[in-house]
Amino acid sequence: MDEITPDAGTVMVVDDEDMVVDAIQGFLELETDHLVLPFTSPRAALEHLESEPVHAIVADLMMPDLDGVQFLSRARSMRPEATRILLTGYADKENAILAINEAGLYQYLEKPWDNDVLAFAIRNGVERSLLFRELTERMAELEAANDELAGLRQRWIQAFL
Amino acid sequence: MNEGGLGPTAREITQARLATLGMLVAGIAHELNTPLGALNSNHHVIERALLKLGEILEDEVVTPDELDEVRRVVRATESVLRTNGIAVERMVNLVRNLRNFGRPTTSEPRPVDLHEGIEGTLALLGHELKEIEVVRDFGELPLVVCHPNRINQVFMNLVHNAAQAMHDGGVLTIRTRAEGDHARVRVADTGRGIPRDVIEEIFEPGFTTKGERIGMGLGLAITLQIVHQHGGEISVESEPGRGTTFDVDLPLRPPTGPARKEASE
Repeated sequence: MDEITPDAGTVMVVDDEDMVVDAIQGFLELETDHLVLPFTSPRAALEHLESEPVHAIVADLMMPDLDGVQFLSRARSMRPEATRILLTGYADKENAILAINEAGLYQYLEKPWDNDVLAFAIRNGVERSLLFRELTERMAELEAANDELAGLRQRWIQAFL
Repeated sequence: MNEGGLGPTAREITQARLATLGMLVAGIAHELNTPLGALNSNHHVIERALLKLGEILEDEVVTPDELDEVRRVVRATESVLRTNGIAVERMVNLVRNLRNFGRPTTSEPRPVDLHEGIEGTLALLGHELKEIEVVRDFGELPLVVCHPNRINQVFMNLVHNAAQAMHDGGVLTIRTRAEGDHARVRVADTGRGIPRDVIEEIFEPGFTTKGERIGMGLGLAITLQIVHQHGGEISVESEPGRGTTFDVDLPLRPPTGPARKEASE
């Protein structure tokens, strides 16, 4: 079956700390059906996004080179349908709240994170992404139908004039 | 207010100590958070992995499918345990680096390895130094008789200021040398520098540049006071746009006090 369920779906994990990426990857692989894409470099993660879509992105806030908000903002413009989740240190709450708007955050989680809460956020994030995609497709269909209708109406009017 | 420019008042000293303590606590919390997050997550993974293995073994029959699952769980657990090893090591190193910081102020100075205090400072301010290249140009240094926690306050203020001056990255060089009867610790950054018209004032209590956190304005006044209390000197050179260099000279033994007393560990 090709249909992706919210319990599966692709999740990108980005943190400059190996041990955080390893821990989240280990947990998701053992406990869920998500396909995990681990990255310790936000730039490499962006390169990947250029060629491949993902359903959800979990990113750390404090990273050298490109911080989590900058990274997720760019990811948002490249893949608006990918749900964005920010992982923050203990004292970054204010920055995280700012990021809700700037990077269009779906959720932010504080470190040390709770695995069940993280899994729940990711699952809902994947579902949201799938709905987003479906909505975009339906919108396109609707638009096409609308155009067709307009054409039809035009022909009808012409037929009666 | 401080009158007559005689150095910081008692209240200002307390404020500065609290500011340093705040930095210390923030540093510890931040540095522990990453390994702790990994350990916390992995702990649950291992717990559930064992639960899963227990369920499979419960009926005392292991099907080929279950065997595959057992292998998968064991592999994942091994990987998670490796990460735990790294996380624990990180925490052990942090605590080791903190040995000097944790000591309460003692009335008597003792022989101290300054490099230990510098490493502790760098470990604690790691979160401020993420985008900064740190160069350790350490020479041979004999033990310096001093109050380690107070001298660490000096390092902390200087490294913190350097990090603040290099918001967009740069190089922090810490150079140590024994020169005659004193040790010289140089803290040099490639940051925005100090404007010429205020460089004379930076050691005054209350001096601050815009955007500095409250309390940090006292940093350099206290730094100067601590260095003077140890019979040392501090000097600064700065070029706007190029960077700032602080030199701290500490006598290997303080001029007064029980300099001959060796501390017993």
